[in-house]
Amino acid sequence: MSDVTFKPKRKSGPIKFATIGAWLISLLFFLPIAWIVSTALKPKGSIVVSPPVFFFRPTFDNIIEALSFDNTLDYFTHSVIYSFGSVSLAILVSYLAAYSFSRFKPAGTDFLMFLLLSTRFVPAAAFVIPYFQLFNLLRLKDTYIGLIAFYTMFAIPFSVWILKGFLDGVSQRFDETGLVYGASRFHIMFKVILPQVKPGLVAAFVFNILFVWNEFLYNFQLGGAKTYGIPVGLFTGSTKGGGIDWAYVASIGTLYVLPLVVVIYVFQKYLLVGLTFGTVRGEV
Amino acid sequence: MYDIRLENVTKEFDNFTAVDDITFTIPKSSVTVLLGPSGCGKTTLMRMIAGLETPTRGRIFFGEHDVTDVPTRRRNIGMVFQYPVIYRGTSVRKNLELPLLSEKLSKDELDKRVDEVAEILDLTSVLKRRVEELDNGTRQKIAVGREVARQPRIILFDEPITNIDLTSKMELKRSMKELFSRLKQTIVYVTHDQTEAMTLADQIALMQDGVITQSDSPKVIYENPNSQFAGWFLGNPGMNFVPSEFVSVAGTKITSPLFTQTIDLGSKATSVDILGVRAEGISVSISQVAGACAATVTRKSIGAGGQYLLDLTVGGLLVKARVSHSIGREAKDTVWTSIASENITFFDSSGKALSSEIKVK
Repeated sequence: MSDVTFKPKRKSGPIKFATIGAWLISLLFFLPIAWIVSTALKPKGSIVVSPPVFFFRPTFDNIIEALSFDNTLDYFTHSVIYSFGSVSLAILVSYLAAYSFSRFKPAGTDFLMFLLLSTRFVPAAAFVIPYFQLFNLLRLKDTYIGLIAFYTMFAIPFSVWILKGFLDGVSQRFDETGLVYGASRFHIMFKVILPQVKPGLVAAFVFNILFVWNEFLYNFQLGGAKTYGIPVGLFTGSTKGGGIDWAYVASIGTLYVLPLVVVIYVFQKYLLVGLTFGTVRGEV
Repeated sequence: MYDIRLENVTKEFDNFTAVDDITFTIPKSSVTVLLGPSGCGKTTLMRMIAGLETPTRGRIFFGEHDVTDVPTRRRNIGMVFQYPVIYRGTSVRKNLELPLLSEKLSKDELDKRVDEVAEILDLTSVLKRRVEELDNGTRQKIAVGREVARQPRIILFDEPITNIDLTSKMELKRSMKELFSRLKQTIVYVTHDQTEAMTLADQIALMQDGVITQSDSPKVIYENPNSQFAGWFLGNPGMNFVPSEFVSVAGTKITSPLFTQTIDLGSKATSVDILGVRAEGISVSISQVAGACAATVTRKSIGAGGQYLLDLTVGGLLVKARVSHSIGREAKDTVWTSIASENITFFDSSGKALSSEIKVK
């Protein structure tokens, strides 16, 4: 080994510079959101003008007007039902599957795990037509059951992967201690192990809700008037009058991101842990 | 309480036999230590007793009950793992009483049980503390206490103090000794650490390659190992062995460069191949005495209690001898060694001890 030299403590200058840079880049990413929100709050007359208006008296007129459109509230209800319904169901199923993969290691676990994820290799658009026909045939088109089943299927693979990583990080001795104490498997799964993989559950939940909440294509094809969500509503509603109604787009867009902002804000502390899953954990 | 009977218990993994046809009884209300090197099958055997592994063949009985097919949760056992299982975010008291909550005990009975184990394990002062504030030794005490408070008929310990730092280890060992003397349960304790085994065991079951090679009280197993393996594994350092090329057998008499006397073993002498002697069985003197062999000191080290450990070369043979502080300090270059005949253990060529068959005349 060569001589060890101690590096002098880094001066604060470059760090401050880096921090400012990071903030600027973050703000750049935030611009579209800022545009959407500010447009929603602008008076009708100052939305599409050149040069753009930066200072204005905020008004809720656009939002109130957008909400009073025929189906707007229905779209929200639909979106909430199928998104949260399918993702919650997917997390439950995935947790059971991941527990089994992690603890009982059925023959061919690695291959099965690969197979599971491989369903996400193909672009979703490739299957729109077959699914459309299948849903028609099974009379599932424009039903919650159909949409929830579809999105659940879509959310399972990724959730199983995330959760298995977390479960592998929880030592089997917790299960075994539970067994010794006379607990049933279900008790161990839901009372002993589940609390320890909360960050994983939250991460899986958030990632999948982001996906399903934003999904347009399948909702458009497999849904219908009774189940169209906000993305479809936004698309059809914005072009209703011939041109594009920017006030409508911005208002709905603003309301649309709010639930996700709330979900992510609430779960933030778990999410940070969830994003670093797969890091090696030692026994404690 | 129950004894634990193993009948022809075998456990095979893929192409490896971890436990090989063991028939053995673990006596009730006593401490049995399964001792052996890593990979000898001791943990697998314990996990089968717990029901966490299923034997490939053989039956396991608790008393008269065949529990081979009984799931772990119905076996009414306690088990302490190598890494302490504690429930974070709760107090020590909560950790101790958690498994008791499902038993619908009265509040008084619950508190009584918890306070009792806390007192024995010296946890009373930390009962209100949160478990994450405590060191690993204390956490393991909590895990031990939780099992004891449940009062199962059988408690299994799987190397509970292996991963604890040295100071806490000594303390934990003392607490366990104290605890075991009060418990009436059947206790099975797995370890690869012979000092733990010597301290805690009522009887040691020594394991090697999936079989129990000897089971006796610590004193007997130390003084009368039935195999070279037992002699080598127990004791620090292990027993000195005199290989057959240094052992001459003439009729009923045996001689060796290690000692001057000729030992008469009667008719069985011919089967003797290897001799064994413990480090403390070799007496060393600084000045020449009658009947002693000259030995060269090649290395000296000081051990626990101020005793010295000497590496000696006697007639081309390397042996280790444990001597008192004063002799150890003075010993240099040449010393004189002698070995009393009763300190010699005789082995045949397969490493089996012949002590039960032959007597020194």
